[in-house]
Amino acid sequence: MTTPIKTVISQKILKKEVLEGDLCTGCGACVGLCPYQVIYHDRTVQLHTCDLENGKCYDFCPRTSTDLNELRNMLFDAGDLTPETGAVKGYYFSRATDRQLREDAQHGGTVTALMELALFEGLIDSAIVSARDQEFVQNGVVVKDEAALRKNAGSKFTVSPTVAAFNRLAATKEAGKIGVVATPCQALALAKMKLKAVKEDRGKIDQLKLVIGLYCGWAFAAQKFKELMGQNDIELESIAGMDIPAGKNSLEIYTGNGTKSFPLSDAQACIRSACNYCLDSTAEYADISVGAARFGDSWEEMRHWNQMIVRTGKGRNLIELAIKRGVLEVRNAPAESLRQLKNVAGEKKKEALKNIIRKSGSAKNLLYLDRHDPVVRRFLAK
Amino acid sequence: MSKLLSPARTQVLFMGNEAIARGALEAGLNVAAGYPGTPSSEIIESLAHVARERKLYVEWSTNEKVALEVAAAASFAGLRSMCVMKQNGVNVASDFLLHLTASGTRGGLVLVTCEDPGALSSVNEGESRYFARMLEIPLLEPSSFQEAKDLTKWAFELSEAIGNVVMLRSVTRMSHASGNVICGKLPAKSRRAKFDYDGPVMDSRTGPMISTPVVAKHTLHQKKLKGVEVLFEKSPFNRYAGPAKPQLLIITSSVCFLYSQEAIKMLGLHKKVGILKLGCTWPLPPALLKKHLLKTDKILIVEEVLSFLEENVKVLAAGMLKQMGSKIFYGKIDGSLPSVGELNPDIVAAALGKIMKVKRKSLPADYTRKLQKAAALVPVREQTFCAGCPHRASFWNIHNAIALDGRKGFVCGDIGCYSMAALSPATGYHTMPTLHSMGSGTGLASGFAKLAAFGFDKPILTVCGDSTFYHAVIPALINAQHNRADITFIVLDNAGTAMTGFQPHPGLPTSALKETVPAVDIAAICAAIGAKVMISDPFDLETTSKILTSFLEDKGSVKVLILRQACALSPEKKGKKKFNVKVNDALCLGESCGCNRLCTRIFRCPALIWDRIKKKALVDEVICAGCGVCASICPQKAILKTEATV
Ligand SMILES: Cc1cc2nc3c(=O)[nH]c(=O)nc-3n(C[C@H](O)[C@H](O)[C@H](O)COP(=O)(O)OP(=O)(O)OC[C@H]3O[C@@H](n4cnc5c(N)ncnc54)[C@H](O)[C@@H]3O)c2cc1C
Ligand code: SF4
Ligand code: SF4
Ligand code: SF4
Ligand code: SF4
Repeated sequence: MTTPIKTVISQKILKKEVLEGDLCTGCGACVGLCPYQVIYHDRTVQLHTCDLENGKCYDFCPRTSTDLNELRNMLFDAGDLTPETGAVKGYYFSRATDRQLREDAQHGGTVTALMELALFEGLIDSAIVSARDQEFVQNGVVVKDEAALRKNAGSKFTVSPTVAAFNRLAATKEAGKIGVVATPCQALALAKMKLKAVKEDRGKIDQLKLVIGLYCGWAFAAQKFKELMGQNDIELESIAGMDIPAGKNSLEIYTGNGTKSFPLSDAQACIRSACNYCLDSTAEYADISVGAARFGDSWEEMRHWNQMIVRTGKGRNLIELAIKRGVLEVRNAPAESLRQLKNVAGEKKKEALKNIIRKSGSAKNLLYLDRHDPVVRRFLAK
Repeated sequence: MSKLLSPARTQVLFMGNEAIARGALEAGLNVAAGYPGTPSSEIIESLAHVARERKLYVEWSTNEKVALEVAAAASFAGLRSMCVMKQNGVNVASDFLLHLTASGTRGGLVLVTCEDPGALSSVNEGESRYFARMLEIPLLEPSSFQEAKDLTKWAFELSEAIGNVVMLRSVTRMSHASGNVICGKLPAKSRRAKFDYDGPVMDSRTGPMISTPVVAKHTLHQKKLKGVEVLFEKSPFNRYAGPAKPQLLIITSSVCFLYSQEAIKMLGLHKKVGILKLGCTWPLPPALLKKHLLKTDKILIVEEVLSFLEENVKVLAAGMLKQMGSKIFYGKIDGSLPSVGELNPDIVAAALGKIMKVKRKSLPADYTRKLQKAAALVPVREQTFCAGCPHRASFWNIHNAIALDGRKGFVCGDIGCYSMAALSPATGYHTMPTLHSMGSGTGLASGFAKLAAFGFDKPILTVCGDSTFYHAVIPALINAQHNRADITFIVLDNAGTAMTGFQPHPGLPTSALKETVPAVDIAAICAAIGAKVMISDPFDLETTSKILTSFLEDKGSVKVLILRQACALSPEKKGKKKFNVKVNDALCLGESCGCNRLCTRIFRCPALIWDRIKKKALVDEVICAGCGVCASICPQKAILKTEATV
């Protein structure tokens, strides 16, 4: 008996496995590629049905099955790979030398300083960062100068469909060299593009020259975040920034009228459900990954510093250039700090795997992950 | 000179509706009012054409009830008036009609209903013959073009004789077909209007026009209807033709008479089957019926749609059982004829053949085979909006807004060209799951929006056309606003009553008589109700989409979006392209991932075609109306539009 070959319509399985499966990160990788997939607020919407197989939407999504090993081999030196935090060529504390930038930025301004430098030196022609509007809707934006970069500095803890902006820009093929600031899911999507792009699209994807990753514990679902702000009479428009200060166990919202503090549990109630199934807290598929520094006891002392993992040769070159040009102050971080980071990163992996198994109902079904992947195996609860 | 004004005794080729109009003119018509609706619209249109010469007042009213009220006022003032509508219009007019028939009329008032068996251009095949029985008024049904004229003329006299409304029923195949008519005289003099109301309450010529005292007036009304029976007994519009002792008697009316004649001929049964053709179908003249029923024991009743005539004949026959003995009746009730859809000579012949046990000469086998082969070659064509139709763009925007919102909202539909969105779901991008009568979309939306308390959290949208807005939407819209129904109400304003042929409506500054009249502004009405009102061009996809998505997010009140863009077939647009549009092959992605034929697979303007060989999209320049919308939807900007130079 022959079983009929089942056609696998990309958009349909993306819908079933990712969108309806609550795995969608809102990264925007499936958006801006065609007229069918769009982002509305932080929701990925399929506007009309598409009946193609082997579509980019499915291929590029960070929550569809991927051979992570193949990705690691393609991007990194085997010797740099660690199970907890991916490839580590170097691990540092850093901050921008420009005091004003540090004031404007989330922490030490490392991300913005590096992007400014890459633009200035012509390593990239455009940078894609995340901008928010007054309603706190986020979008990837293409910027080409320092002023625009600085304007969009600072972390917004809701998801940004940053990769959609990359798709739109890259579609032209004459976009030039592109750099992207990406959360872990976005960085994974960008890496998948490099791996999966069909021949005709190579030229577009190869325009991606730099990925600066952000550490990410989780992100907020926009709707829930708005509700939390609404309940506490915080006008979305008035929000100037936010952070989760080390050691304080709270979410701080900085507004024109001062700082409002929420218990972490309130913040956690707003987490986008997809984040519960994410294994990556350090943007493992970036060239350089940047997060908040965790050292000393005083938040005030730490807050204008970053920690940074250099993952690729390209990343290393950029840091060296930054030091040479005097835009970045870089310190070697103590081994203890890296050990702590690995601990935290490992915990997130374990937790995510537990959540995945709870969702799928079986340890044999890890949804988008391959249970034979060495990193996955390592963190699967025995 | 309009052919409607041809001199007496000339033979003229008239469309059925023109014959009705001519009949009214010969009767000395003064006032005509109606609401457009296929297949009735040409009557008012052709009367408007000759209004000046014939000193008529003709109007397109906002709806059928108002049209009947306008006509009734003329009748009360002693003038002859006519009110014209399609079958469902009678339902709209029926509330007033019930009271009007109870108060009675003065000058001849004829209500013409043009019906649509098979619903060729309707969403129902309702019949209004039952209204005549229910409201106890005479019903006339012409079965030829000459009769259409003659019966209409006589209807006015009849109306004046009984002081009540007379209903004349036509059907699509009568209204829209043409035939020769010998004209009669057009009266030289016109009447003057005069309304007396000081007389005794029971005097319908001089007293007040009211339906009370109800029982006394009802008694009088029925007495007059008895008089009608007497007139119908001798009416030349009721005729028998056939053998003196037929084996089967066909009783029929309207175009079914023609079908019956043809069926008899097809089967060569003229020596065995006779036809009693009735032009006056309510109340039935009992003596005439008895005379013909006595001729035979087998009777076939041929009519469209329901078994109105059959039921009435059977009731009479039952009352005369003693004198006549029992009969075998064939018709819709025993299933000899279908009780839905249009009839035609073939259907009647099949029924007749079965009853008479004669075989119709069947078609040669070879011919049938060839026919089937040819039929297979006919491409399947779905109903869709025209190329350049603003409704396509409107539904594109509506669909996208609903999809973005993500709560599976939907549109409550209404009657107009945009009904296509419900009739052919892909054309409306699967947004419109309900479709009922004019104005009902808004009423339904108002109701759906109140179901939130029962866990129904969906955005509710509704659409209506500009003409429909005035016709029946306003009360429903006020209901929604007053009861705080959260709805997004969209007026698809294409600047005319497009579906029935661009008759003016209250939103336009011209009347049926081509006079300049005040235009009633939809936006101002909606704003006055207290709704939030926006206006946009549906071809501007970006702006329209933005407004719609913001409306769906804006909870708690009535939001109105007026989408203004003239119909692609409107006189000012027809044949004139705004843009020349073509596809750049080099940019077109066709079936590849990245587009997958958005334009021909999803958007589906009929002017966009798929070149199977090149695997690229193509614009059919002949069909393309040059609206330029497809250029805005193509993800590759492969569809290029350039301003057309005239
Ligand atoms: C959702 C989220 C969660 C995070 N969680 C952690 C964490 O758990 N631990 C930790 O150490 N660090 C976390 N970070 C990273 C941290 O907040 C800082 O972004 C990082 O330390 C870099 O600081 P900086 O001063 O160099 O950044 P800046 O110089 O201020 O630059 C920040 C850049 O990030 C972009 N950006 C802002 N919001 C987003 C977003 N939502 N998506 C994509 N890009 C964005 C901005 O456009 C800007 O280019 C998180 C960041 C985000 C956005
Ligand atoms: S298969 Fe391609 S064209 Fe279809 S939805 Fe996915 S990305 Fe779009
Ligand atoms: S995770 Fe990203 S690529 Fe996958 S469905 Fe969501 S937005 Fe699209
Ligand atoms: S929408 Fe544009 S790219 Fe897609 S098939 Fe049509 S013309 Fe080609
Ligand atoms: S311009 Fe495009 S959408 Fe408009 S009629 Fe022509 S092919 Fe159709």
